[in-house]
Amino acid sequence: MAKPTVASDWLGGCAGCHMSFLDIDERIVKLVELVDLRATPITDLKAPDKEGVTVGILEGGITNTYNEEVAKRMRERCQILVSLGDCAVFGGVPAMRNFFTIEDALNRAYVDTPSTDDSGQIPSSPELAKMTIVRPVHEVVKVDVFIPGCPPNADIIFYALSELAQGRIPKLEDNNLMWN
Amino acid sequence: MVKLTIDGQTIEVENGTTVLNAARQLEIDIPTLCDHPELTPYGGCRMCLVEIEGARTLQPSCTLPVAEDMVVRTDTEKIHAARKFVLSMIFSERNHFCPYCQVSGGDCELQNSAYDEGMTHWPIQPNWQSYPIDASHPFIILENNRCILCRRCVRACGELVGNFTLGFEERGADSTLVADLGLPLGESSCIGCGTCVQVCPTGSLIDRWSAYQGKETEVESTKTTCMGCSIGCGIDVLTRDNRLVRIEGNWDDEVSNGLLCDVGRFHPMVEDRERILTPLIKKDGKLKAATFDEALETAGELITSNQGNFSGVVSTRLSMETLAKFKTVCQAFDAKAVLTTEDCQAVSAIYEKASNESKPFEGKIDGLRDADCFLVFGEDITKDHQVLSFFAKRQIPAGAELIQITESDSGFDKFATCTLPVNNKSLADFLSDLGKLVKGDTETSEIAKEYDLDTDSLVYAVNALNTAEKPVIIFGTRNDISGSQKVVSAAVALSKNMDAMMVSTKGNINSLGAAGLGFSASGDMKGDLMVMLLADEELSQCTQQKFEKAKSKIVFSAYISPLTASADIVFPVQNWLEQNGHLVNIDGRILEQKSALDAPEGIFSNEESIEKLAEMLGKKSTISWEKELKSFASPVKIA
Repeated sequence: MAKPTVASDWLGGCAGCHMSFLDIDERIVKLVELVDLRATPITDLKAPDKEGVTVGILEGGITNTYNEEVAKRMRERCQILVSLGDCAVFGGVPAMRNFFTIEDALNRAYVDTPSTDDSGQIPSSPELAKMTIVRPVHEVVKVDVFIPGCPPNADIIFYALSELAQGRIPKLEDNNLMWN
Repeated sequence: MVKLTIDGQTIEVENGTTVLNAARQLEIDIPTLCDHPELTPYGGCRMCLVEIEGARTLQPSCTLPVAEDMVVRTDTEKIHAARKFVLSMIFSERNHFCPYCQVSGGDCELQNSAYDEGMTHWPIQPNWQSYPIDASHPFIILENNRCILCRRCVRACGELVGNFTLGFEERGADSTLVADLGLPLGESSCIGCGTCVQVCPTGSLIDRWSAYQGKETEVESTKTTCMGCSIGCGIDVLTRDNRLVRIEGNWDDEVSNGLLCDVGRFHPMVEDRERILTPLIKKDGKLKAATFDEALETAGELITSNQGNFSGVVSTRLSMETLAKFKTVCQAFDAKAVLTTEDCQAVSAIYEKASNESKPFEGKIDGLRDADCFLVFGEDITKDHQVLSFFAKRQIPAGAELIQITESDSGFDKFATCTLPVNNKSLADFLSDLGKLVKGDTETSEIAKEYDLDTDSLVYAVNALNTAEKPVIIFGTRNDISGSQKVVSAAVALSKNMDAMMVSTKGNINSLGAAGLGFSASGDMKGDLMVMLLADEELSQCTQQKFEKAKSKIVFSAYISPLTASADIVFPVQNWLEQNGHLVNIDGRILEQKSALDAPEGIFSNEESIEKLAEMLGKKSTISWEKELKSFASPVKIA
């Protein structure tokens, strides 16, 4: 039987969950024995294979139209979709901006900041993605496995991935269930 | 008794027991959020739903009384689904974001409940409405975004503290926890006791001093006694890396059952007096650092040369052990006077009265819990002995009368059912006249006229005192009252007349114990030398001035103060959180003081310091405080 394939991508997050994934350290060797690690933001191949992968992992929440596209593409190309980290699961820290209007948030970032001079303006180009309300991934596409945590502990990530690699859906409970 | 079956186990419980409490007796765990053992059941969160055979729907076990042959199930799929649904609704109602919440990671009952149900995410998203945050209070932060509307805080504020500051404004999703009628907490009637913070299951009410400084799993807990006043409430001192993180009320404590006031809970957090870290000896008019042995030797010489010519003064924040050892030194060198720093005629009048009475005339403070009429005078106990005022205030909704005799503004003004503005100068006479009124020996209108009181108020008060089944007198002695002895006699006579229990507030935490060892709460210093165990007490300016008059002074103190500045020899000592010992509180209970923090290097406890002094002077302590207490004519039974 061929090894299960895994791809990951990041959306509106801080990359911390991928860093925490790297914290599994030498256990990554064991992991690649079990799975074929395909596209990830921290490897050369960025987009998941068109032919599809077994497991797709998304870090970060949906903060704009581009995140939506990436999430939908991952959903289409994977059999099991994993939400990794508090941003993907709950919206996380970026979701704090939901308490303000998008306009206020953009003004704050590009115009009102003390370090911005009078030339500050909100970038506008048809090529840029449009900001949306911040949502967890499962508000946009169906998610099969949730791994909360900010970031999830490396041990928890390793546990979840090794379960997936062996064809089981990980069940997070007790010490493996941590939202913060 | 009622017999019922829970999860296949049969149990017999008292009629009226809730299903939740019956399950607890069987050690069956039913998750709860709005329920709190110290508060009346509310049935607001629906986490405790259980299946009852024959019932159409799931029932909240916290409010459901048991019934004969009831069959209860607590662990079915239907129940777990309901719990998950309840949690989903709660999470969607407000903004519960764990990564930046102070209680996340073990201290949040909401998060723990979600973990217990294996929730990895929220099926329903919050609606991103932001709720008000109130950070106007010096100690408490009120964060409506984390609120689950369980109303534990509202119930605690009313049922336990009797302050009724907290309440809810608006309805449904708009429900907002507010103080008074929407005032900022810091400007409201909140007295800062922090009971709401202690009962809050989430991060909705947090205390700003301990926030983010350590979770329950990261701190060490020491159960000891609060030294804020004479009551001696049980406290749980939480420390981390030898640093004070938080003080909580100890629910298992028999004195106050977990209640604390702002003085006990928050004031120690803001202690900012400068610590004395080395012994000091005055040389050429200036205090210079010295070794402990040098200071001990100089002190020994000073005491020996002033034999029979010195006064021993102690803080009543010191343990029985320390006081007994110090008494040995005072006796061995013929101290002319042994005093406490309380410097209060009213306090000493209480002890004097006790020495003239054949048996104790005061009751235990437990008696306040079911009293139906409180007569309060002498002091504003809402300031100095706050937990006693909680016991009184919380009984008012049940119909208790609260009669205060005071001319000045007091914290009871909004609560008292009757206020009699009588000047403290005529308090003794008025109390005797009140005694006569209660017996019906004199005309109310005449007495009202004599003291310039409203006749209706006086009639009301007398009637309330007469019809009460369990009247109590709370006599505040912490502030001096002119003619104290007369007031004390009148108060004791009145309590006998009315068959009312009396409680006097006495002085500091170990005031009664110090009296038991013969230290006088008032009186003048005698002789040229004063040996003072100031401990960590902060004296009033007036008291300070009295003791500053001593010609030469040896002061044992934890903190720098004008008294240590004018002393000849200063010994650094440990503060209340650093030492062990025993204390005798307001109603004669012997309470334990336990060390929660390590003292700075080289600083001894008061007890050790005195022991070393006695040793150097060649005196061995022979006094047993337990024995002395047995022969002490106390105003209240010691036990």
